[in-house]
Formats: sequence, structure tokens, C-alpha cells
Amino acid sequence: MDPQLTSQIVPAEEIKVIEECLVRLAEDTGGNYVLLLDKSGQVITAQGDAARQDITALGALIAGTFASSREVAKLLREKDFRQLFTQGVRENIFISLIEDQWILCIIFNKGTHIGLVKVLTKKATDDLSVVLERVREQQKARDDVLGSSFRTSMEDTIDLLFRD
Amino acid sequence: MALINVAAREIHCKIVYYGPGMSGKTSNLQYIHSQVPKETKGELLSIATETERTLFFDFLPLDLGKVRGFQTRFHLYTVPGQVLYERTRVAVLSGADGVVFVADSQKHKLEENIRSLRELAVNITRQNKRFQDFPVVLQYNKRDVPGALPVATLDKYLNTLGWQRFEATATNGAGVFDTLKAISKLVISKL
Ligand SMILES: Nc1nc2c(ncn2[C@@H]2O[C@H](COP(=O)(O)OP(=O)(O)OP(=O)(O)O)[C@@H](O)[C@H]2O)c(=O)[nH]1
Ligand SMILES: [Mg+2]
Repeated sequence: MDPQLTSQIVPAEEIKVIEECLVRLAEDTGGNYVLLLDKSGQVITAQGDAARQDITALGALIAGTFASSREVAKLLREKDFRQLFTQGVRENIFISLIEDQWILCIIFNKGTHIGLVKVLTKKATDDLSVVLERVREQQKARDDVLGSSFRTSMEDTIDLLFRD
Repeated sequence: MALINVAAREIHCKIVYYGPGMSGKTSNLQYIHSQVPKETKGELLSIATETERTLFFDFLPLDLGKVRGFQTRFHLYTVPGQVLYERTRVAVLSGADGVVFVADSQKHKLEENIRSLRELAVNITRQNKRFQDFPVVLQYNKRDVPGALPVATLDKYLNTLGWQRFEATATNGAGVFDTLKAISKLVISKL
């Protein structure tokens, strides 16, 4: 089967490794918020400032920004923009690509130097690339994870909720 | 690519509404947003021009609650249909698990539908996916417009791959949920 059409399963133990990596990055940089997204905009996991609402919309927008910058890169015949830096009045956002699959995003305030964020993010993306590699390699059968009756239950739920 | 987070027991799927300018993609999301229960929907986020044309995307997260222990979420997006925004469409399509192609049934729009569908095929292929295998559902929208092309004609030009297709009038909701149900089930069947 086309690997691009199958889903990506991130096992519990890998989520734990990812979380540790994000916590470390937040602590070492004094960052307020760190999140890991899939390139489709879905939040894999987030750490920090629990008061942030609407992570879902944030994920969609950041991934959209990144994807559109990739198209800008193509037009400029640039290979890719691996990083994006957005400067705000109170907070800055630094975004970095992990392989072609995940997006690491850190939100930090004026107290933190961007140079430090860049160096530590580089280290974190290296660590996360290793995790991503492992996630890609493991070939767990869907049924092991979801259970064989998942699809029928899902179809019932769809019929129940998606109607006027 | 659908994402299954085993630790949080979450499943995410991304569905994109694609099609030529003004075919009714945003109207589909607006209708869905107006009808699904409060607990199921998040806010509808629209990045549009002053004249209500989509500039970047519309985004509607739907949370289906727990299914067999898994929190299941569908994220619906629309692309901007205007020719000008070709590259933006590529960006929004990134990582999509399924597409609803919203065609405009009006006679003078046939050519635009065909061109947009061809562009979709190119863009999916560029993501290293086989277009013939990619989950697509067709929607023939604006069936209420006088002189709308017969379904058989639209089939002949747009449905050469034999997808499931639905007639719709997005502004009053006809066919909108049939389309959504079909693409959701198709995407789930590929998990
Ligand atoms: N008569 C009729 N009008 C419709 C229907 N669906 C949408 N419209 C109208 O068509 C116009 C464009 O609809 P949108 O939903 O904004 O179209 P879109 O595909 O999102 O357009 P872009 O964002 O530019 O790509 C609006 O004025 C809608 O009210 C329909 O089924 N019948
Ligand atoms: Mg629109």
C-alpha cells in the first residue's frame, strides 16, 4: 500500500520521549510554550503555559504559514526554508522543520535571546528526527491499535453527528 | 496523513474542500458549522478578503468524541479557488487525508471545473500520492441554479474515476452532510 496513504501511529513511549524533549527545550530557553505539529497542522503534543487556548487553530495557522513559505521558497528557487522567525511585541515565535514531516514551534518572550533559541532548537530537532525515524519504521498493524470494530463504531458515530 | 497518538488516544484526519473559485466550498463549511452540535464543533476560522473570497483557508475542527476509546477529530479546510492562489492551494493541501471536490454545476463553469480538477491531480501527485487511490468525493453544487448542467454531463467530464458523487445546494444545505459523511467514512476506511 502507498505509505503516504496509511496513517502515522505515534506510540505512547515515543510521545513520552517527545514530551521530555519539549520540556527540556522550554526549560533551557525559558520559552513559554513549545509544540510539535504534524505538517498537516495537527498538534502531536504541546508543553508549557496551560492557559493558552485554541491550540487547534494555532496549529492549523502555523502549519499553513510553513507550507506557504515552502511555496515561496520554490518560487525563489531556494531549496526550502527550514526555519521561520516571527517577531511580536511581547512574544516571538521560532518554527523549525523536522525532516519533511513535523514542525517544532517555540514561543518565547523578549527575555530570551534568539541565538540561544536557535542553538537549542537545533539540538531538539536532531533528537526529534531520531524519534520520527523510529515512528516511521515501526509497522504496527492498525487493528492492534484501534481494534477491529473501530471502523463500524466510527461509521455509526459519523451517521449520528453529521446530519442536519 | 492521519495521525494516531496512542498516548493521548487521539486520531486526527484532515479533509480539504477543493474546487474552482465561487463553487461553494466556504458555504459547505458554513452550513456544517451551523448544524453540528455545540460539543462537536470548534470555531470556524476564515482567512478571507474584504469581499468574502477565501484568501488562505477556512478551518473547522470537528470533535467526534470518544470512539472505542479514541478521541477522534476531523479537521476541515477549504482552499481559495481563485486562479491567482494556485500556490496557496498547494500549501493547504499539505498532509490531506481526503478531498471533497466541489464543482459548480453552472454551464459556463464546466471548463473551470475541469481545469481545477486537473490541478488537483497534479498537486496530489506532487505529494507522492497516487491520485487514483487517493480518497476523493465529488459534489455537484448549485443544483438550484436554473440551467444547471445535467448530472450525466458533469459525470462524463468530471467523474472519469468513478468516485462517489452528490448533488448539492450548499446555501440551503442540501447534500452537504451526505458529502461530509461519505468523505469521512472513506478516510476512516483507509486508516
Ligand atoms: N445559488 C447558489 N449559490 C451558492 C451555492 N453555494 C454557494 N453559493 C453562492 O456562491 C458564492 C460563492 O460561495 P463560496 O462558498 O464563498 O465559494 P468558495 O468556493 O468558497 O469561493 P472561493 O473562496 O473564492 O474559492 C456565494 O455568494 C454563495 O452564497 C448554491 O448551492 N446555490
Ligand atoms: Mg471560499
